[in-house]
Amino acid sequence: MQIAEWIESEILNGHFHSDQKVYSQYQLAEMYTINPATAAKGLNLLVEENILYKKRGLGMFVTGEAREIILNKRKNQTLKHLVQELVLEARRLQISNDDLFAMLREKMAEEGGK
Amino acid sequence: MKVIESKGITKNYFRKQVLKELTFSIEENKITGLIGRNGAGKTTLLKIIAGFIRETSGKMNVFSETPFNSLNVSVNSIFVDDQMSFPPALQLGELLNEAARFYPNWDDQLARKLFNYFSFDAKGYHNRLSKGKTSTFNMIIGLASRCPLTIFDEPTTGMDEAVRKDFYRALLKDYIDYPRTIILSSHHLDEIEDLLEDVLLIHNGMILLHMPVSDLKEWAIGVKGASEDVLDFTKEREVLYKNSVGMNTLYVVVKNDFSEEALNKAHQLGLELTPVRSSDLFVYLTTETKGGIDDVFNNN
Repeated sequence: MQIAEWIESEILNGHFHSDQKVYSQYQLAEMYTINPATAAKGLNLLVEENILYKKRGLGMFVTGEAREIILNKRKNQTLKHLVQELVLEARRLQISNDDLFAMLREKMAEEGGK
Repeated sequence: MKVIESKGITKNYFRKQVLKELTFSIEENKITGLIGRNGAGKTTLLKIIAGFIRETSGKMNVFSETPFNSLNVSVNSIFVDDQMSFPPALQLGELLNEAARFYPNWDDQLARKLFNYFSFDAKGYHNRLSKGKTSTFNMIIGLASRCPLTIFDEPTTGMDEAVRKDFYRALLKDYIDYPRTIILSSHHLDEIEDLLEDVLLIHNGMILLHMPVSDLKEWAIGVKGASEDVLDFTKEREVLYKNSVGMNTLYVVVKNDFSEEALNKAHQLGLELTPVRSSDLFVYLTTETKGGIDDVFNNN
């Protein structure tokens, strides 16, 4: 869900701190021209994952562990998935493990040099 | 609360059955998209809900009463389409005045602001407006009337891209400020799906699906890969769409009720699994003849 991902990114790059209030479903609906129920689903997803918490009548707030949870999730899901893709694609192209490692190392050196 | 309750609604026009035993309900303050191909029965259904025509059999309840000949339904609902008739003797500005007298929740400020934003001439006449302008004017009446039940039947007929976008945004903003039950009929699902909470999909006078948009987006899955792998993975399932790409590659759309494991396994086999856009799914579900437009041109 794009709304949830966007809020996660906003938390990661420091636009929302812990215990800070995030946008309401209506604000999100208005910003993205989407149905408020859809926006609410995105927010509730984050509540389920302990990234946001509800304060009755006040709105949704960022939990203390939000950053950590998002980082872990992205590591375990997104990064793992990308690595899986990388390995699968390497197989398809019949690239040996050594060659793949070499490519990785090269890229890392390049990025590290910056 | 249920604003609309339809039980076994059937409508015959002469010998043709246009609606076949439709049973569904629509909750208060939701935006529902009524989606169907040309001639699916959308307008007939909406007109029965609005009380314009009477069903052949079955029971329709709107605000807990039969809409046909109901003053209560009439004053609490509006049916907007490109055929709305207004007194030809009145100028557009006067039409707004009359609408203000008729609809109890009318927001005159909103009406006048939209009227000016879309550059209407208060001294113009409705029957001299272009197609797109007619739709735009009717839409203004539909929004400003703020009826607890607002029905838009193909509201964007003839509107250009910019006006359509403005309309969708205006509708959403006003809905956020003044929630109400809205039905929006269209055959362009991709254009309106972000606005909707629920989708009611009808085909040949019958209901195919009625569910939240978010569920519809995950309802089907596209599988692409080597033909035999794809066929093996999707065997014993109803194929909604099938397309051969190149020599030995197949793309198949099936209902997504696979387990997480099955999907992972398929992925490792090298099958490409993709979500199916709801507008594509709509076309697949409502295609009459198996095959497609390409087959018409195929002489073999």
